[in-house]
Amino acid sequence: MSRMYDEVVTVVENRPLTGGHFLLSVHSPRQARATRPGQFAMVRLPGGLDTLLRRPMSIYDLKAAVARTSVGGAKSRVAGHRPALQRQRAPEIIQLLYKIVGKGTRQMAGLRPGDRLEMLAPLGHGFFPEDYLAEARADDEVLHVAGGIGIAALLLAARELAGQGIPQRLFFGGRTKEDLVGVEDFKPYVRATVLATEDGSRGHCGFVTQPLEEYLLRNRNKKFLFMVCGPWLMLEATVKLAQKYRHRCLVSMENRMGCAIGVCLGCSIRVQGTGHGAYERVCTEGPVFWAEKVVWGKERMSRVRGI
Amino acid sequence: MSKGRRQKSEGRNQKSGARSQHTGKTTGRASGSKIRQSTADPELQTPNFVPTIDTEIAGVHFQNPVLTASGTFGYGKEFAHLIDLNRLGGIVVKGISAEPMSGNPSPRIYETEAGMLNAIGLQNVGARRFLEEKLPFLRTLKTRTIVNVFGYSTEDYVRTIEILNEGEGIDAYELNISCPNTRCGGMVYGNDPKLTEEVVGASKRTARRPLFVKLSPNVTDITALARAAESAGADALSLVNTFVGMAIDIERREPRISNLTAGLSGPAIKPVALRMVFQTARAVKIPVIGIGGIQTAEDALEYIIAGAKAVQVGTANFYAPGTSLNVIVGIEEYCRRKQSHLYELVGSLRIPDALGADS
Repeated sequence: MSRMYDEVVTVVENRPLTGGHFLLSVHSPRQARATRPGQFAMVRLPGGLDTLLRRPMSIYDLKAAVARTSVGGAKSRVAGHRPALQRQRAPEIIQLLYKIVGKGTRQMAGLRPGDRLEMLAPLGHGFFPEDYLAEARADDEVLHVAGGIGIAALLLAARELAGQGIPQRLFFGGRTKEDLVGVEDFKPYVRATVLATEDGSRGHCGFVTQPLEEYLLRNRNKKFLFMVCGPWLMLEATVKLAQKYRHRCLVSMENRMGCAIGVCLGCSIRVQGTGHGAYERVCTEGPVFWAEKVVWGKERMSRVRGI
Repeated sequence: MSKGRRQKSEGRNQKSGARSQHTGKTTGRASGSKIRQSTADPELQTPNFVPTIDTEIAGVHFQNPVLTASGTFGYGKEFAHLIDLNRLGGIVVKGISAEPMSGNPSPRIYETEAGMLNAIGLQNVGARRFLEEKLPFLRTLKTRTIVNVFGYSTEDYVRTIEILNEGEGIDAYELNISCPNTRCGGMVYGNDPKLTEEVVGASKRTARRPLFVKLSPNVTDITALARAAESAGADALSLVNTFVGMAIDIERREPRISNLTAGLSGPAIKPVALRMVFQTARAVKIPVIGIGGIQTAEDALEYIIAGAKAVQVGTANFYAPGTSLNVIVGIEEYCRRKQSHLYELVGSLRIPDALGADS
């Protein structure tokens, strides 16, 4: 686990996307440099008691500082986004992809360039525990499976895997086409993207697990590694598929968090085992777990809705 | 922003300080609690006055009155990257039971207005593993280590203390008889003066270190429990633990917390907790440690002026890990400005004559 920094950071841009999603860019070189794929940040607007606790959010992307960005002034909306081009320089910008779901995120939506934000990052252990990369290399393809805002946990991992020459594919589902944000950012790293919406407004009509299962059926002789993030029911359905077709599966879990540094024990989830070992903290032992470690079904994890 | 507020309150305090020379009186029983007369007159202030802010509770010396509350600071080490732990007065570690406990199902926490609900269920590593894995690090600190002790029965409490007695480097125990989130334990003791006496008495006889008792606010008259703990041998009282609360998801008509009810903490509880600390400090002779919604030095000073010899910072550790250190700095600044040592402030509340001593 890399070390965390508790800092007050400056907003560079808070770009509205479709469906109440935003891409928030903050200038924070130390935190950006320390971030590994799959880690997250805790953010809070200074001052108010209305939203007391910090909010956990996946670190979506890291960028080198862009010279033309004028903090506090002109809009940089004109600049189209080119995801991979600035990778050589050390990153200074952390990007968080979020959706308005309640009080805290509604306040965040009002952030403007130059505003300050309290941020603790990077947190948790991400997608690359020691043995993982070797495993990904041995498999035929890595399948990213995202539900809604869960997409935010996967981009950095996709880039790192692409850098290692590992073939990847993205399965991405949402309620409606407006939920499918960031698809373009994945394109340079994946062989193909398969989209699904519950209302049929884009891609397959229904849950993303349907085209995923079709793909698994067509490729029964291949070995896949799953990397999954999304709502509980979608995670559970995806994990079932992985188990049914005998593929290994990493899940990035979400839960309400009080502190994100392992002391409040508010984010603990049930894992295999008994007694004291039967719970692990999403913030510290996670957020990424091997799917077979998590106890699915019986106990619903808390919903992040409404924070 | 806070600077402006501080200056404003300074003006106000000095005015009321001047008034108190004629009509005011202090409520503390200790002779040292009278504020030095010079505080009223800026011209009498000595510019090089260096206030002392250390404090002593039941023979345990603390370099300052700011401790971190149990359950909000893990076993200390978790914060090592974020703050200088050696500057804290003390660390009260997460509640320890004789055997490890796994805690309650998720969801365990929920944010409410200016506060949060939690029902963790006292998940902890157990007393033996605490001694082996957690205590060695705490012993390297200058900061005092207080171990919060939890059990389901009097025998449980005693057994936990027996195990902890074997460890070196623990400065005091804090008996948790007030956790609202475990079935048939904890708060049952804290709600009944007879049971309080029983468990405190048994624990005191076993404990080889000073025994603090952490009280529940979920009672009609907290002073009755405070007196019961005192008469059974408690060396100090910590108050308050969380208030039993609840929140409902109206879309699903489900409780927000799996345990149904949960403990409320954070700034929302401060006025009520402060009142209880004030009442308790006047009802007992043993020292009182104030807890509840502290996030600034001003909050801490309210508790101290109400009668607390020390305070604990709790929920604020979650969302602002630097809080306890800021509180220490703020208390020092206040003491310098008021030309008072900390011990002179304890219980120094001035009560208008009309209200008398018993309110």
